[in-house]
Amino acid sequence: MTSIVFELFASLESLAGARTCEIDAGEDIRTVGDALALLARERPTLASALERCACASGDTIVRRADPLPADGRIAVLPPVAGG
Amino acid sequence: MERAVLSHEPVSVEPLLELDAHPECGGLALFVGTVRDHHEGRSVRHLKYTAHEPLAAKVIRDVEAATREKYGVPYVRIVHRLGDLSIGDVAIVCVVRAPHRAEAFDACRYAVDAVKHGAPIWKEEFYTDGSSAFVEGCCIRDDLDDTPPSSHRHHSHTSHG
Repeated sequence: MTSIVFELFASLESLAGARTCEIDAGEDIRTVGDALALLARERPTLASALERCACASGDTIVRRADPLPADGRIAVLPPVAGG
Repeated sequence: MERAVLSHEPVSVEPLLELDAHPECGGLALFVGTVRDHHEGRSVRHLKYTAHEPLAAKVIRDVEAATREKYGVPYVRIVHRLGDLSIGDVAIVCVVRAPHRAEAFDACRYAVDAVKHGAPIWKEEFYTDGSSAFVEGCCIRDDLDDTPPSSHRHHSHTSHG
């Protein structure tokens, strides 16, 4: 059993009431997409927002089909509004 | 040393202009985004910018480089403010130096739009009635299969200033 740490930003952080969310994951969680589906199941309040979120590992965007980052950390980025 | 593109402190415009350099340039385009006191009919008291800083910094540096390349201009400099801002505070500065004005204007507009649409930065507005909200923004997922890449996946970004 390993755990995944989701780093939540902006509106997601507000929805979750926390900056990070750690969830135990089984061997079947192999991709970023698998991890997000797990997050949606474990935190239903976030589920509807996740579709429009991008994900990052370090300073790099990762896609749903990419393998789970080796450090088990995924930043979840809602739609952006800078400027 | 690599120049900062994100700032938690107030941003000074003048040092970013590099007026003592770039003698080949006859055009300088400058955009400064400042905090507005209203948004979609609501009265704004102040706001807060947050970011995924490592990725936001990388995206902004990529925009600077892409803008130099696309418009053939030697100098593009962008700084985005983070943290708590009051009405009138500087939120973003973009400076372009170019041989002539046409590419300076075009490059400046392109760079600002690219940052607004692509950098993971969020704006939380605090209204005079005591409530607050995150401004609805642009989805930066690039693997949404069911949406054609040419379509707009975001909302009314032009109104964000």
